[in-house]
Amino acid sequence: MNTIAYLLYLFITYCITVHVGLVFYRNGRAYILALLHGDERITDSINKLLLTGYYLLNLGYAAWMIQSWETLSNWTEVFTSIAYMTGRIMLILAVIHFMNMGVILHFSQKRKHFSHYKN
Amino acid sequence: MNSSLNFTAYLIYLPIVIVLTWYVAHVLFKNSKIFMLDIFSGRTEIALSTNRLFETGFYLLNLGFALVIMEITYNVPDSRDLLEALSSKIGGFSIYLGIMLFFNLYLFFRGRRKSRQKAQAAEAVVNKPGMGTH
Repeated sequence: MNTIAYLLYLFITYCITVHVGLVFYRNGRAYILALLHGDERITDSINKLLLTGYYLLNLGYAAWMIQSWETLSNWTEVFTSIAYMTGRIMLILAVIHFMNMGVILHFSQKRKHFSHYKN
Repeated sequence: MNSSLNFTAYLIYLPIVIVLTWYVAHVLFKNSKIFMLDIFSGRTEIALSTNRLFETGFYLLNLGFALVIMEITYNVPDSRDLLEALSSKIGGFSIYLGIMLFFNLYLFFRGRRKSRQKAQAAEAVVNKPGMGTH
C-alpha cells in the first residue's frame, strides 16, 4: 500500500511542480526583463537558473517528505495521506511564490526610485 | 467495511472543491485583467504576466488548503453524518474562498489607487518647470 501511495504522490507532485514551474518560467521573464532594463541575454540565463533551482528545491523536498510517511493499511488512508502531503507541498509552493513576487516587486521599486533620483 | 463512507465523503468533497476553486479563480482573474492593465498603465505583457502569476498562486494556495483540510478524522457511520461533515467542510471552504476573493479585490483596488497617485505625482513633477517658464 505504501508503495502505491508513494508512486501516486510522486507522480502528482511531479506534474504540479513541472506545470507550475513552466508557468513561472514563461511569465516571470517579463519581470526580470523589466528589472534588468531589457538585457535579454542575462534575463534568459537568470530565468533558466531560477527554474533549475526551483525544480531542485521542490522535487527534493517532495522526495524527502516520503521518509516521514506512516504505514498505510487501506485505501482511505492512502487517499487521505496523499491529499494531505500534496496539499502541504502546494501551500509551501504558494508561500514561496508570493515571497518571490514580493521580493521582485521590492527590487523593481528600489530600481525605480534610484533611476528617478538619478534623473 | 466501516470506513467506506469516509472514502465516499472524500470522493464527493474533492470534485466540489476543485470545481469551486476553478470557478472562483476563473471569474476573478478574467475580470482582474482590466485592473492589471490599469495598474501597469497599459504595458500589456507585464500586466498579463502578473495576472497569470497571481492566478497560479491563487490556485496553489486554495487547492493546497482544500487538500490539507480534507481529512475527516472521525469515522462516518451513516448518511446523516456524511451530510453534516461534508456541509461543514464545504461551507467552511466557501467562506474561506470568499474571504480570499475580497482580499484579492482589495489588493487590486489598492494597486490601482497607488499607480494613479504615482501617475499624478509624475505629472506634477513634469508640469512644474513648464509652468515656471510661462
